[in-house]
Amino acid sequence: MAAQNVNVAVAEDFLDRFADVVRRCEQAGLKVKQRLEAAGVVTGSIASEKLAALKRVPGVAAVDVDRNVDIGPPEGDLF
Amino acid sequence: MAEVTEPGTTGRFLILMRPDASRAGLKALTETAGLRVTSTADFENGAMSAETLESAEAIFFDELAVAVVDAPPEQLQRVSALTAEESGILVVEPERVVYAFEDAWRASTAGGLSTLAPEPPSTVRPLGAERSEYLLGYREAINHLVESILGDGARPSGAALGVGPAQLVWDETQVTWGLQATNVASSQFTGRGIKVAVLDTGLDLGHPDFVGRAIVSQSFVDGEAVQDGHGHGTHVIGTACGPKQPSRLPRYGVAHQAEIFAGKVLSNRGSGTDSGILAGINWAIVNGCAIVSMSLGAPTVRGQSFSRIFETVAQRALARGVLIIAPAGNESSRPTFIAPVGHPANCPSIMAVGALNQQLQVAPFSCGGINPQGGQVDIAGPGVVVRSSWPRPLLYRTLQGTSMATPHVAGIAALHAEAHPDMRGAVLGWLLMGSSRRLEQSSRDVGVGLVQAP
Repeated sequence: MAAQNVNVAVAEDFLDRFADVVRRCEQAGLKVKQRLEAAGVVTGSIASEKLAALKRVPGVAAVDVDRNVDIGPPEGDLF
Repeated sequence: MAEVTEPGTTGRFLILMRPDASRAGLKALTETAGLRVTSTADFENGAMSAETLESAEAIFFDELAVAVVDAPPEQLQRVSALTAEESGILVVEPERVVYAFEDAWRASTAGGLSTLAPEPPSTVRPLGAERSEYLLGYREAINHLVESILGDGARPSGAALGVGPAQLVWDETQVTWGLQATNVASSQFTGRGIKVAVLDTGLDLGHPDFVGRAIVSQSFVDGEAVQDGHGHGTHVIGTACGPKQPSRLPRYGVAHQAEIFAGKVLSNRGSGTDSGILAGINWAIVNGCAIVSMSLGAPTVRGQSFSRIFETVAQRALARGVLIIAPAGNESSRPTFIAPVGHPANCPSIMAVGALNQQLQVAPFSCGGINPQGGQVDIAGPGVVVRSSWPRPLLYRTLQGTSMATPHVAGIAALHAEAHPDMRGAVLGWLLMGSSRRLEQSSRDVGVGLVQAP
């Protein structure tokens, strides 16, 4: 039951029901970390096997697995 | 109609007035130049008949604040006795004859080059001798007009900004080469009133060069304060918004009066996540930032597409008047290997910045627009030998990377935003790209070219 960090974009025509969509994502298994209403995104974590169901929630436009970003340590000189 | 004296012109003149001074402009034309002016404002739907257009002495296009005048240059010259303030007149140009492109070719070959076998118009042709003649004739007409209106005030045309010496050499005692090459050093704009969000490793809030500066800061990294324990954030904020007079020369910062929004989305070890970056973008939107500079990313592979989440968020940001700028990435080893533009700069709605060296050539590490879905380099900035601020005690450091090119573009975007309060989001991005200095290198590598300050 590995949990993955995910970012969920709420569909354009559901932005005015942002809270509703977030609630439904929670019901689908999303453990909410942040509600980013201006961007129309909710971030959190979910069990891998529930990912497909999350994508099918009405009002969910896209789901990305959270990616790591690394610019490297300060000792480098190429950034 | 006045006698046509110069090739390519009709003998009439176009006059551009200040939009708020068209009444003064009309007065200058009627009273000072003694012209009868017909205005589109007097016609239904602003539509004058073709006969009126042909026969009127002077026509005023009310919505455009432009007049077309059919009068000898000497009559118009009376207007030049008025100041620009009195007359509201900004520019006077000869009215050109314009053609559809196919006809332009025919018109310019009409007079004497008929020995050339005409090619079918659908063939793409390079600019040949016959078009050059047309352009040279037009230039003569302009010079003639300037001389006749300005008289002794006409100055000879200066040297064109063209191909320079073989090697560009920069004097960095006062100002970094990057601020010189982008015209920042001579710009009057400061970024005053513009909020610039920089999402990175934070900022050294005690750095002497940022004392007394308007700074809003926020950490989006669990367990870490916004105080920069890495250095990268301090460096890029320095480039984007550093002071006009730093504690130690040279000057290295672009928008020295912009309001800095320092968002820490990368840890003191330089790592972060998409979700942290998204939180930073959300914060920038909520706070009314016009620009988001994020010198970060993850490599992509050939054939990889862009993140739908980041693209959606970037589009929403643009709609809210927020322009997001990110580095193209540093994975290339030119000339042998060109890596594709990284995430999230590969999103079409995010402005992707390539890096140039001091010879204004693409830096060897700079990624290129090789992926078919998104992944284009949009613009380029100075990205080699970039000196900027660094956390105490070092204070300054010189680095390279598309991370360094990005805040040049972001700071300059703030200058353009200040210069054009009505232009934000996609329109601001369009302005940035339109005003860039075109380079001879492939747009795959440098986009529209080297960013330029207003």
